[in-house]
Amino acid sequence: MIPSIGHASILVGLGLTVYAAVAFVLAARGGDSRLSVSARRAVIGSFVAAAVGCAAMVISLLTHDFGVRYVAENNATTTPPFIGVISLWAALEGSILFWALLATGWASLVLHRYRDRYRQLMPWAGATLATINAFFFAVMVWPGNPFALTSPVGAEGTGPNALLQNHPFMALHPPLLYLGYTGLAVPFAFGIAALATRRLDEEWLRVVRRWTLVPWTFLTLGIVAGAWWSYEVLGWGGYWAWDPVENAALLPWLTATAFIHSAMVAERRGGLKIWTSALVIATFVLTLVGTFLTRSGIVASVHSFTQSAIGPWFLAAILVALAGSLTLLVWRLPGLIGGGRPSGTVSRESAFLLNNVLFLGLTFAVLFGTLLPLLVAATSGDTISVGAPWFNTVTVPIFVALLFLMGVGPALPWGTASWATMRERFTIPLILAVTVTAAALALGLRDAASLGTLGLAVLVGAVMVDEVVRGARSRARSRREDPATATWRLATRNRRRYGGYAVHLGVLVMAVAVAISSGLAIDRTVTLAPGETASIGGYEVRHEQLVVEALASDRRVIETRAEVTYTGPQSGSLRTALRDYPNSQAAIATPAVRTSLAEDLYVTLLASDQATGAVTLHLFVNPLVVWIWIGGAIVGGGAVFAIWPERRARRVAVEHPQRVPAEPSVEGA
Amino acid sequence: MKRWLPALAMGGFLAVAALTAVVVLRPGPEPSAAERADVLARGLRCPDCQGLSVADSPTSSAQEIRRQIDELVAGGATDDEVHAHFVARYGQWILLAPTSPAAWIIPIAVVIAGAAVLGAWLLSRRRADPAPPSALTAAQRPRPPDEVEALDA
Amino acid sequence: MRGLRWLIVPLLVIPLGWLLFSGFGRDPREISSPLIGRAAPAWTLTSLDGETLSSEDLAGRPYVVNFWASWCIPACVDEHPVLAAAHEQYTDEVAIVGVLYNDASADAEGFLARYGDAGYPHLVDTDGRLAIEFGVTGPPETFFVDADGILRARQFGPLTDPLMSVHLSTILPSASR
Repeated sequence: MIPSIGHASILVGLGLTVYAAVAFVLAARGGDSRLSVSARRAVIGSFVAAAVGCAAMVISLLTHDFGVRYVAENNATTTPPFIGVISLWAALEGSILFWALLATGWASLVLHRYRDRYRQLMPWAGATLATINAFFFAVMVWPGNPFALTSPVGAEGTGPNALLQNHPFMALHPPLLYLGYTGLAVPFAFGIAALATRRLDEEWLRVVRRWTLVPWTFLTLGIVAGAWWSYEVLGWGGYWAWDPVENAALLPWLTATAFIHSAMVAERRGGLKIWTSALVIATFVLTLVGTFLTRSGIVASVHSFTQSAIGPWFLAAILVALAGSLTLLVWRLPGLIGGGRPSGTVSRESAFLLNNVLFLGLTFAVLFGTLLPLLVAATSGDTISVGAPWFNTVTVPIFVALLFLMGVGPALPWGTASWATMRERFTIPLILAVTVTAAALALGLRDAASLGTLGLAVLVGAVMVDEVVRGARSRARSRREDPATATWRLATRNRRRYGGYAVHLGVLVMAVAVAISSGLAIDRTVTLAPGETASIGGYEVRHEQLVVEALASDRRVIETRAEVTYTGPQSGSLRTALRDYPNSQAAIATPAVRTSLAEDLYVTLLASDQATGAVTLHLFVNPLVVWIWIGGAIVGGGAVFAIWPERRARRVAVEHPQRVPAEPSVEGA
Repeated sequence: MKRWLPALAMGGFLAVAALTAVVVLRPGPEPSAAERADVLARGLRCPDCQGLSVADSPTSSAQEIRRQIDELVAGGATDDEVHAHFVARYGQWILLAPTSPAAWIIPIAVVIAGAAVLGAWLLSRRRADPAPPSALTAAQRPRPPDEVEALDA
Repeated sequence: MRGLRWLIVPLLVIPLGWLLFSGFGRDPREISSPLIGRAAPAWTLTSLDGETLSSEDLAGRPYVVNFWASWCIPACVDEHPVLAAAHEQYTDEVAIVGVLYNDASADAEGFLARYGDAGYPHLVDTDGRLAIEFGVTGPPETFFVDADGILRARQFGPLTDPLMSVHLSTILPSASR
């Protein structure tokens, strides 16, 4: 019965979203607000339908209902309840159901929030969102039915994918990522609405500011969580392999970041209409491309869901979305042209625009590298690889240039920057950067990438600190506040700017951590009998014993475990294992990571000899890795700070107690 | 700001950059066999993994390929010969980076072209831009003074 | 000239669509083999029964080299009867040789005990050297060598009866089904 309820809820969801799309279009053209209201309610209804569907699937997983094919393939009687719940998004059909839940959630939220505002934009935005959601429901009705039944019903299921059971991050990484992907449909919908209604001024940019930042934050955290999970689970000691599906998540992030920056310029100076519209279209299409690459089976990847009939559907969606939005853009082109040229060649605007050029260059490079094997195979039949060496060589210079711009851009004024300003702003940071780099060189650091990143980081960091200190000092002086209060008050009244500083600081921390952890990592492979020791980077690692036993939490899993003690900057014991899952060909490595602020000691079990108890271990010392995750958290925190609503009325009144507010507060999202 | 400080900063920057370049780019001692083997291993793909290099991969086929790399290097093979040995068996796929120069030039060319277009746009003489649409832009609307913006020169 | 701007839409959409569509139906893990049309690698290995076999022993006869493993389920299980049938049908014309890929002898013998031993030898590829010589990326992969020692065909993935026929016809002019 539960599967039938689930299936019915999907059908209901399809019906409601189709109705909503049609009703919104009619309301947009005819101006009938009752249709709008009805359509909005239908979208909220589709969210409820998706929620019921997810609940039905989770119940089926928890009750081990192997009559449902998805449950039979992803669950077993020995599966712990926590894993059972997160298996909702573990495989193809369930992940689309989860996607539909989040997508309808975003649509309902934005439609409800603006039910009394932006009356020209909302029907078209609503129609776009409803159409997108209708597509996902349609995929679940036809090629990818999560509630498809199987017979005969087995007594036992295959169990979840082994890789997904090893780490609690499986609970975190997909939801964060999906919240990002689905949320980026909202700015796209507003872009379409702005183009459709010819309301091509900055209003839509103001509306979507927060509706872009929030999903962007989720996407950032989702990508960082994925890298962290990869590092902790996969056992090769790295966190980013330029795998096609990793790239697929990065692509919309790059264009979304570019959009956030150019939208700031467009909002302030006008213009850039074609550019910002194109960016928001590209971001949404890239989320579809990413989903397609993961689910179609046309590229081999760590992540690939099995090839299925869903591929052609997603390809059709990509082409329709791209063709439709581009047609609309080209149609409205005459109204979009003009304006936006920055007055100064060196100015914050031009820095932001250069930032966009670099981000789009990165997007092109990553897309090119990901699709090149496909292109070569399609044209010549040869197979080639484009792997980490190519991606690193091509993208690192662009990242470095972006890092430099990240420091320079916010310090430049809007409009033209004079030579005097630049001298004033950059001299001391330049001196500091030079000193630190020289000191590092003198202390023996020879790795070029680490030196360069360190120097840049000091430059960028010093410029940022200078900005904050200037502002605080000026305010402290004029209001007689102490520096701390002055800084806090300034920050909370300029959340976008100071949130931006925090985000850039987080990026800086991540950049330095990535450069140093890649450049200065050391590793070795050793074979140790029980009692033998090996040394690496200041640590002494001693193999104590080899243990083979079934896991307490899931007795079908056999774990071959090396128990190891270590001394050095950190001391203690750790266990690293290879786990044999019944439904997996190869044994799954569970590396052991001992993290400190300075470095990680990382141990993977490669092979073992049960007769002698000897083990072959791959040992790593990875410096500063934890700062990548800390940097990611700072980025997230900074974004949240920027998004947090300012107290508007107070802002105007406090600064000018005699002045009556000149206008009603600017409507914020 | 003292007059000579900016010049000092610039000079210091150039000096450190030159020093770094010299230290880093100076032809170092010949890489040892182990170092060469490591670099080669990082450029070869593990046959039964998903995109990992044989240096990173724990599988037995990766270990065997590393052994063969060591043997070849010890036997005096050049880097190109080591690559050719494995390409003869697996095809170009075994190399983690494409050999064709086009694969490297195209993305760099795109970035340079983009920057050039931007530069041309910024530097070109301004024609009279068409009048902006009816609504005032955010910059033109009356706004309460922002004391942070007041710091902008 | 105003109409030209509309060209952007097909110019972007059609190539992208063609490129992504071209990936369907192709297994992304299958790589093109550079060995086809060239002399097959020479080998000397010991079989599960303890006998030593080399490619020279098979000179002048067409032979089939099948890489498999006991943990390769269900693909190797599915193709096992196909190979057995071919061995029985072409016993005197084609030699079939199995090679273990990253597998323990005991596990392989267990597999044969369970799914049947067709009688052709299975070689133990210690270190996986032969797999690398043939450019194998994972079981099952099967190579078809003609009487002159030239590698004529390769099957990536499990064999089926029709596929077996097709590949055998490249090394056996008289092969028919």
